[in-house]
Amino acid sequence: MTRTSAIALGFFIASSLTWAADEPLPKAETVLDHYIEVTGGKEAYLQRKTEVSTGSFEIPAQGIKGTLTRYDADPDKSYAVVEIEGVGKIESGTGDGLAWERSLISGPRVLSGEEKAQALRENTFNAELNWRKIYSKVETTGVETVDGEECYKLVLTPKEGRPETTYYQKSTGLAVKMNTTLVSTMGELPVEATMGDYREFGGVLVATRITQKAAGTEVTRTIQTMKVNEEIPAGRFDLPADIKALLDKATAGAKK
Amino acid sequence: MRSMLGVLLFCLVLNGQAPPDQKQLNLASFEKIWTTIRDKHWEKNPGGLDWQAIHEEFRPKMEKAANSEEALALMREMLGRLHQTHFAIFPASVLDDVDVEAMGDGSPGMDVRVLDDEVVVVRLDPGSPAEKAGVQLGWKIVGVDGKDLAPLILKLKSDPAVHELTLERAVAARLSGIAGGNLRVRFVDGANRERMLELGLAPARGQLARFGNLPPQHVWFESKRIEDTGYVAFNMFLDLPRVMTGFGSAVTGCAQCRGFIIDLRGNPGGIGGMAMGMAGWLVSAQDERLGTLYLRDGTIKFVINPRLEAFNGPVAILVDGTSASTAEIFAGGLQDLHRARIFGTRTAAAALPSVIEKLPNGDGFQYAIANYISEGGKPLEGVGVTPDTELKLTRKALLTGRDPVIDAALEWIHNEARESAK
Repeated sequence: MTRTSAIALGFFIASSLTWAADEPLPKAETVLDHYIEVTGGKEAYLQRKTEVSTGSFEIPAQGIKGTLTRYDADPDKSYAVVEIEGVGKIESGTGDGLAWERSLISGPRVLSGEEKAQALRENTFNAELNWRKIYSKVETTGVETVDGEECYKLVLTPKEGRPETTYYQKSTGLAVKMNTTLVSTMGELPVEATMGDYREFGGVLVATRITQKAAGTEVTRTIQTMKVNEEIPAGRFDLPADIKALLDKATAGAKK
Repeated sequence: MRSMLGVLLFCLVLNGQAPPDQKQLNLASFEKIWTTIRDKHWEKNPGGLDWQAIHEEFRPKMEKAANSEEALALMREMLGRLHQTHFAIFPASVLDDVDVEAMGDGSPGMDVRVLDDEVVVVRLDPGSPAEKAGVQLGWKIVGVDGKDLAPLILKLKSDPAVHELTLERAVAARLSGIAGGNLRVRFVDGANRERMLELGLAPARGQLARFGNLPPQHVWFESKRIEDTGYVAFNMFLDLPRVMTGFGSAVTGCAQCRGFIIDLRGNPGGIGGMAMGMAGWLVSAQDERLGTLYLRDGTIKFVINPRLEAFNGPVAILVDGTSASTAEIFAGGLQDLHRARIFGTRTAAAALPSVIEKLPNGDGFQYAIANYISEGGKPLEGVGVTPDTELKLTRKALLTGRDPVIDAALEWIHNEARESAK
C-alpha cells in the first residue's frame, strides 16, 4: 500500500467513526468541511496555487474519444482544451469575471447570465475549500444509497444559479454523485454526474473519473496526470483574439 | 444523426410458416420493439397512447400469428398507432437490397438520381473514370454488371418502409464496389442509343473522415464562384475541421459577393451541430435558432451563434429528395427565419436522430430517439422542407448542360441584388 492510499484510508476510517447510524442528520456545513478534511485538509488545499492536468474524454456509446488538457490557477483562472478526432479543438476559459468558449463548430462565444455563472463556479480554484463563497445555502436533506453505499444527500444553492444535489458517502466522506442542471444557450438539461477513482495530487485527493449522463448520452472524463504548483506558460490565460474582438464589439455597442 | 442503414448486416429471410423457433424469435422481436419504445421514446406516453394497453392488445395477437408475415404485419400495425415516422421494420429480405455498406467504397465518379423512375447521371467528378470514359450528364443507366435496375426500383418503391432516400442510396450503392475493380454499366445516351461501358472503380471523391462509431466516410467540399455569386457544395456534414473551415473561408472570401448558393442536393446530413455553426456565418442577429430537439428528459435548442464576419446578402439553398437530416435542419431553419430561399424538390423528410437495431428474428427495427420542430413550428420528420421555388432536375435539361435549379437560384439572387440597389 502506498503512503498516499494509507493516508486516504486513515481519513476514511476516521470519517466512518464520525456519525453513528441512529444519530440525526449532520449539518451540511459539517459534511462539506469533513470533505475538505478527508481529501487532504485545509492546509493542503491552501498550498496549491496552480494545476496542470491531462486526461481523456470519451462518449463510449458513440465511439468518440479525445484528449483533455487543463490549466488552472488561483483564484479563478482556467483554460481547457478538448481535442476530438473529426471535431477538432474545443477551448474554454475563465478569468477576471469572464467566461468564454470557442470551437470550429460554433465559433467564439462569450458566456453570459446563468451559463456564465455556472462556468465561473465550476472553474473556481480550490472550489471545495471555498464552498462558503460559492453557495448561499447548504442543507442536508436525507440519506440515500448510491452504488450500495449510504450517502448524505446535500442540496447546495449557489449565489447565482439553481440548486445542485450532491451525495457524500457516509463511510468515506467523499462526494460520489451530483445531480445538477446544465445551462446553456441551447437549453437546460438535467445532468447526473458520478465521481470516482480518487487519487492524491499535491496532498489533495481528486476524483479522476467523472461520468456525466445527460440527454441519454454518457460522457466520461478521466484525469491521467496532474501537476500541482507547476509554472503556467506565459500568456496561457490570455483571451484569444476572436474573443477580444467580440468583447470590443459589445463594448462599442454599449457606448452607442 | 447517422445514416440509417449504415451499420446493419442482416442475414435471415422471412417467408412461409413460422416454425416454433421462429415464433419465439418473432415474439422476442415484438417485446424488443415494445420495450424500446416504452423506454426510449421522447414522450412518456408515446404518441399519446397508453403503451401498456398496446402491449396487452397486441401480445395475444402475436402469440396467435400463423407465420412471420402475420407477425410482421402486427408489429407494423403497432408502430403505425404512433402515427410517427422513423418507426419502421425492415424485413431482412428488403434489407439485403438496401444494405449499402457491403458494396465497397470504390466509385466510377458519378452521382445519379431516380428521375421519373429512371436512373440518370446528375453529376460527374472531374477526372473520374466515368468522365474519362465519355459519360455525359443526363445519360440514363439501365443496368449494372448484367442486372437491370428497373426491377430493383420497382421492388423498393412498392415497400412502404422504403422512402426516397433509401431508394436513392440503394441505387447509388449498385454503382459502387471495391476500389480497383470494374463495373459494366449499360447507359442510354443523349441520342437514346444504348452504350455499354466498362468503368473503373476509383477511391470515392474526397478525403476519408472518421467520427466515432460511424464507418469512415469520404467527404468532399467544393467552393467556387459562379459569376459574382459564391457557391459551396459538400456531400456530408462530417469532417468538421475541414468542412467548417472551408465554409467559413468561402463566406469570408465572398463578403462582396452578390449572393451565396449552398448546394445540399445529395447531402444526407451528419453532425447536427454543424447546421448551427454554418448558420452562424449567414445570420447576424442574436438569439435566433434553427429549431428545437425534444428528448424525453430535456430540450436542445439549435441556437445560432452569429459570427462577426457573417454574410448579409441573399442566400439560396438547393435541396432534393436526398437532402436529409442535418441538411433539412439547416435548410428548414434558415427558411423559417426568412434568411434563405430554398430551391429544388422536397427534402427526404428524415430529420430525426434515429437508430436501427437488429431484432431477434433478423429484421431491422428503426426508431427515433427525439423529435425535432423547426423554428417555424412545423416538424421536418415526415414532412420535409418544401422549397420556395419547386424545380425538378430533368434529363432533358441535363443533356443540354444546364442545371435549372442553379439557374433559378442565380436569377433570384440577381433580382434580389437589383431590388436592394434601387
